[in-house]
Formats: sequence, structure tokens, C-alpha cells
Amino acid sequence: MKKTTPAAFFGTLIACYIFWLLITGQIVSIFTGNASWQILVAGGIVSIIVSLFAARFFIHKKAFHLYNPLRFLLLLFYCIVIFGWELIKANVYMAVRAFGSTKKLKPGFVKIPTRLKSDYALAMLSNCITLTPSNITVDVAEQDGENYLYVHWIDVKEKDDMEKAGDSIKGAMEPWIRRIWE
Amino acid sequence: MRIVIDILICLSILFAFAGVVGMIRMPDSFMRMHSSTNITTFGVLGVLIGGILYSIIYLKDISMAIKLAALIVFYLVTSPIAAHAIGRAAYRSKTPKSPNTIVDKYGEDLEDE
Repeated sequence: MKKTTPAAFFGTLIACYIFWLLITGQIVSIFTGNASWQILVAGGIVSIIVSLFAARFFIHKKAFHLYNPLRFLLLLFYCIVIFGWELIKANVYMAVRAFGSTKKLKPGFVKIPTRLKSDYALAMLSNCITLTPSNITVDVAEQDGENYLYVHWIDVKEKDDMEKAGDSIKGAMEPWIRRIWE
Repeated sequence: MRIVIDILICLSILFAFAGVVGMIRMPDSFMRMHSSTNITTFGVLGVLIGGILYSIIYLKDISMAIKLAALIVFYLVTSPIAAHAIGRAAYRSKTPKSPNTIVDKYGEDLEDE
């Protein structure tokens, strides 16, 4: 099992504490000046315990990768604009298919190549593919140093050409994810 | 502004309804899962975004809005993992596929191993 490095520990600690402040609503109270010190201290203790146990699963390589403000803004922009647009398109497509004829659909499992290398980027790409209706990522495989995703596609348009199928499934998402994580 | 919130919530209910109709009508379990992601994305996001706008404008409660935004983050991170695990388990336990399935690269590669 991997060991917990101090950098990974502090990276996880900061993320945990920020989420604690957000969920308990204390981040507003700090600005208005009536934050309860009991909640702040309790959150600190819980975050330390959680990050002691979870840091080795949560962070593998660069601990402070996402604390770069530029990267974080890029992530927000990606989530709201690029991914939001993909989501709207796919949702409308899928809603129309649900009311239309289901007999004409040709589902199938396709294999698409991806140029992403790091674990986080791969996880994020496959999550984004799963979240847009009409595609579900079933498995990730590594062959000869290249990463491949197996995707169930509800209406297969490109049967044999992997590259074209990949382009039409991933859309604009892959270059943005590479910009964020690599 | 109230109208925008109502439209968002009505839209998300419409998409959730489409998802349920799809889940009943689709021929095999993988295709049913596609329809269920329809519910999990737009069906939930519309309600939550409407709730954020409502709590900012009418309740004037920023901390509630932040909680709802954190809910969106957790929801979007965790729900595709469940869909992915269900799809993989369904394939490996040899759930019958629709006869219309035209290509199956995953099955071919699994046999090679």
C-alpha cells in the first residue's frame, strides 16, 4: 500500500476543510463576523482525521495541482460552459429518442482511444462521457502504452473507425480536460 | 424572476418524465441506463439551480445557496461512478443484450484475455 506523504496530507486537509466551511455555511458567517468557533474547531479535527486516512487514496502525484487559481478558473469555465452545452445537447437528443421509436436504434459497444495519461484526467473524461446521456463508459483498458475507453453508445454511427467514433463521442471535452490536468 | 425559476423546475420535471418513459420503453438494460442518466443530470440539475436562484433572491440566504451548489458538485462527481459500475457488472454477468446491437468491441476484447 502507498504511504501518505505530507504534501498529500495537507492537500487533502485543505480540500476537506473548504468543503466543511461550505456545507456548514460558516464561510458566510466568517465574512459577517459571527462565526461559531466550536464549528470551526470541530471541522478542523474531523478534517485532520479524515485526511490521515484518505490522503493516500485521494492524491497520488502532485498534491497542489488544482490549488493554482488559473487552473481552478479553467475547471469552473469547463464545467459551466463546455460541459453544460454538451449536457443540454445530449439531454434533448435523449428525451426525443425516449418518445420516438426505440426499434430503430442501433446500440453497440465501441472502443475509443484517448491521449490522456493521468488518472484524474481519465476518471474525469469517463465521468463526463457517462454523464452525457446516450453514452456510458463501461471499462478502461491500457494496451501498449495507450489508453482506451469502452463506451456503450445508444445509436452507433461509426462502427469501425475508432478515431472518428472517439471524436464524435468526446466532442470538445478531451482538449479541455487535458488543459486542466496536464 | 419568479418565472425563470418556475420554467427551470418545469423543464427538469419534463426531462425526468422523458427519462422515466425511456426507462419503460427501451428494449434492454443498457439502453434503459441511458435514459436514467437523463433523470440524474437534467432532472436534478434544473431543480437545484432553481433552488439556488430562489434561495438567493427570495429567501436572501446565501449559505443555503452554497449548500445547494456543493450538492451539485457531489452529485455530479458520484452518480456517474454508480452508472459505470452498474453497466460493467451488467455486462460481466451476461445480461441479455438487445438483438439490434450491431457492434460489440468490449465482448471481443474480453474473450481474448
